[in-house]
Amino acid sequence: MLAFTVSVAMLGVFAQPTQAATDDSLARVQEKGTLVMGTSPDYPPYEFLVNRGGKERVVGMDVDIAKKIAKDLGVKLVIKQMDFDSLLVALETNKVDMVISGMSPTAARKKSVDFSNVYYKGGQSIIINKADKGLYKDRTSFQNKAMGAQTGSIQFNLGKKQIKGSNMKGLAKISDLILALKSHKVEGVIMETPSAQAYVDNDPDLAMINGKFSLGSGENDTAIGFKKGSTSLVNEVNKSVDQINKQKLTKTYLKHAGTYMKTNTKNTSMWHYTSYFVKGVEYTLLITVIGVIFGILLGVLFALMRLSKIKLIHFLGVAYIEFVRGTPLMIQVMFVYFGIGLFINIPALIAGIIAVSLNSAAYVAEIIRGGINSVAKGQTEAARSLGLSQQQTFVSVIFPQALKNIWPALGNEFVSLIKESSIVSIIGVTDLIYQLKAVQTATYKGVIPIVVAMVIYFVMTFSLSKVLNHYERKMKHDA
Amino acid sequence: MPEMITIENINKKFGDTEVLKDLNGKVEKGQVICVIGPSGGGKSTFLRCLNMLEQPTSGKIVFEDSELTSLNESQINQLREKMGMVFQSFNLFSNMTVVENVKLAPVKVKKMTDAAAQELALKLLDQVGLAEKADNYPASLSGGQQQRVAIARALAMNPDVMLFDEPTSALDPEMVGEVLKVMQDLANQGMTMVVVTHEMGFAKNVADEVWFMDGGVFAEKGTPDQIFEHPQNERTQDFLAKILEA
Repeated sequence: MLAFTVSVAMLGVFAQPTQAATDDSLARVQEKGTLVMGTSPDYPPYEFLVNRGGKERVVGMDVDIAKKIAKDLGVKLVIKQMDFDSLLVALETNKVDMVISGMSPTAARKKSVDFSNVYYKGGQSIIINKADKGLYKDRTSFQNKAMGAQTGSIQFNLGKKQIKGSNMKGLAKISDLILALKSHKVEGVIMETPSAQAYVDNDPDLAMINGKFSLGSGENDTAIGFKKGSTSLVNEVNKSVDQINKQKLTKTYLKHAGTYMKTNTKNTSMWHYTSYFVKGVEYTLLITVIGVIFGILLGVLFALMRLSKIKLIHFLGVAYIEFVRGTPLMIQVMFVYFGIGLFINIPALIAGIIAVSLNSAAYVAEIIRGGINSVAKGQTEAARSLGLSQQQTFVSVIFPQALKNIWPALGNEFVSLIKESSIVSIIGVTDLIYQLKAVQTATYKGVIPIVVAMVIYFVMTFSLSKVLNHYERKMKHDA
Repeated sequence: MPEMITIENINKKFGDTEVLKDLNGKVEKGQVICVIGPSGGGKSTFLRCLNMLEQPTSGKIVFEDSELTSLNESQINQLREKMGMVFQSFNLFSNMTVVENVKLAPVKVKKMTDAAAQELALKLLDQVGLAEKADNYPASLSGGQQQRVAIARALAMNPDVMLFDEPTSALDPEMVGEVLKVMQDLANQGMTMVVVTHEMGFAKNVADEVWFMDGGVFAEKGTPDQIFEHPQNERTQDFLAKILEA
């Protein structure tokens, strides 16, 4: 929730200049020939991932709707996955053209987003553990109980307002909420009826009850979100939505989604999802390796700036290091993707790599500064007395020795980078954490994928430590 | 004999502490000057002023027609090539082998080819008796061996003058001799040397002039015979009496 609020606040700062533009939303989509759909594929049967022949695909009712819209517009559909929290920001920053993600057109959302006509009316249900079936009959049974719902979702607000003394817990992913339910962190999870049905159908330990919430305008509906002021695109898409409603196409789409869900749950062994984890490892390693390389290059630069005798350069070095170390990586990732993304459109992976590199640079800079200071003064004096310039002294004498002194600390930084880079999953980069959640959603299994990911992370960090130790020994020249 | 270094009215302050007070002196080509005196008397600071590792607060140092205190960074770098320096704590580069230590400055500063530098380095290591240690790292050498490598490293730049800052003070007694021997050979070959030392025997035998320093001033200067046999200054007499007692 905090993440969402912050990113919206950031928009407040940056979004102003882009607002004034005239409505070219339809023309833009037609010109580039693609319609980019943003969605959070952890919400079966609306949208979820399937594993077909080792490849994962986003499917579900919303995807079928998007396909129809793209076809009607005569453009190609592109699907961008990200957290539900990030969808509206992605709209504002032109990362996506529309959001179809089981989203309800509430009054609050309408302030910042344009919505299409309603394409589906879901109804709100509560999922409970089957063992508790006798205990709860509707929302009134949950007074003073802990309840779960997706962060930033309408269900979260419903629970907060309409269950007396409710203690709402928000999580980004439905799969995590189900885990929380099973481990009795929460007693019930509020979600839309079709989604709840999907979970109950696929998990014998779960049951669902009608929430009997009193639903205000839009709160029972599902519609497509667009950037504010995209009237031309909305009108065109509404033609498709009206057809869908008239021909009752959602029924067909839901049936279609149901068949996918069956194939998904046919084989829920982790081996079947190897390709998910492999892809996750690839991205995690890619981000870490590039992050480390640029982290060192920039880290040396910032360390030298901080050690500089020129006051302004010293100040800039200190300011950068302190600022980056004083703010969470998560916010830096969002800032690079959404904030800077307002001016230059950078893909999520690049944004993640940039954020991780810039963050790592600050920590590496401090390690390197410590290393440089740890080299005995006599080494500099000896080099300078031989006629070497300051720069030659640094490159040939000081830095190699500093590197040897800081190698263990630098190694720790790399190891923690493997782990910390997992934060890029919030902007939809398919790293290991992201893939873990995808497997959770696809298999309706909560714990086993976590164990698998944990083991993979450990293997990666442990092997890296071993490699680094090897080089540490190699650098030792003390008899 | 032509003058190599002229020192005029050198003062040096660290904060409010006056470390060097109005020093004057001349080092002629081929001369060996030994600077002796009690610890804390300013000997090392004086020596470090000669190649501008310390900047004098006021005064002039003229080295081969160049006034050092008025030079910029790169001009000083150029002059430092001609002034070899050997430190009390050796300061060999711990990330390089012995031969790499010696080759570094000729390659980086004089832009010598690696092959030529290698040949030169091995010749100099042979001269200090350490050719067989060429590929060892400094950490595996004894103190005396390290100091001899440090001398070879300074000689590799073919300097006009060698500055020694208590080169044997950090050594175990049994290793002092091997280093002094190398220095004596150098003096015999006509190298101009300024040596800050506590080795009175070396000063007596090798020095052309001995400068006794105490409290930031040259209390007395003279030939070894004058200083050691007929010291005039009371402080010199005190110092020598204490040294001989020990």
